[in-house]
Amino acid sequence: MDFVFDYISVNTFWTILSIVHALLAVALLGALTHQAAAVFAPPRAGNTGGFVTHFRSVSGPRYATAVCVLWVLTFILGGWIYAKYRIYVRIPIEQEGFFKTLGAFELKEHLTTIGLGLLPFYWHLWKNARNAATDRARKWLTVVLAAICWYAFLTGHVVNNTRGFGL
Amino acid sequence: MSTGTKTATPPSSRFGTFALVFGICFAILYVVCDMAALPMFTYHPGTDRIDPGFARARPDEGPAMYWYGWIASAALGASILGGLAALLPENIRNKIPLALAWLVPVVLLPVLIYSLKFYWRWE
Repeated sequence: MDFVFDYISVNTFWTILSIVHALLAVALLGALTHQAAAVFAPPRAGNTGGFVTHFRSVSGPRYATAVCVLWVLTFILGGWIYAKYRIYVRIPIEQEGFFKTLGAFELKEHLTTIGLGLLPFYWHLWKNARNAATDRARKWLTVVLAAICWYAFLTGHVVNNTRGFGL
Repeated sequence: MSTGTKTATPPSSRFGTFALVFGICFAILYVVCDMAALPMFTYHPGTDRIDPGFARARPDEGPAMYWYGWIASAALGASILGGLAALLPENIRNKIPLALAWLVPVVLLPVLIYSLKFYWRWE
């Protein structure tokens, strides 16, 4: 990877990686939120409705593969950045004494990892969405993954605001 | 959401069983590996060195990272258990509660919060 640093600075490289990580997280958050809304509060039959009805009227199975791919890509980038975070972000935040911020970020790391392990079953459930015996598990697993995604997104945002880019 | 005609048969495919047991075991093993300090390897980001198993940070070489090692340990254990579960007869495979897939992470949440008690302090 060192050839990259002939063209851009080290700070720019990691900033680009962080922004791509955040953009992938935004896409994942949107997809999972749509899917969770569709499965948790599906629109009533015949309701043409407005924004909220359209928001939850998506076809859940069509989102499953995209959610898995986005989760894995976001996780890989996050895992790559994490090594730099450990030295250049966490240590300064420790020195500032923001321990609850760090704890919240550690919890994010744990929850997203557990979510990663659940993706194969999540994908299996959505690829067999016609099986009524799995409706309940599909619904709640999707809601749990969406909750993890929201927590991870907001925590990442707070940590980024705490430390800032390119320092 | 339209999913067409619904059926009511339990998910008995071997992949479905593997995925379910893998997800449950991965979550539990990950938390166990975290709390019992059982990483497959330790990464030292300051020097790019990898040590097998658990290794403490060395003086003047920066911190040690265990997260990657916990993931590797949990993934290995969960893959073995998931593979064994997939080999079970169909009537036994069908008895594994699907709800465990979402209940296990919910139950593990307070355990994880407790494991991070070092951080929840008022300065």
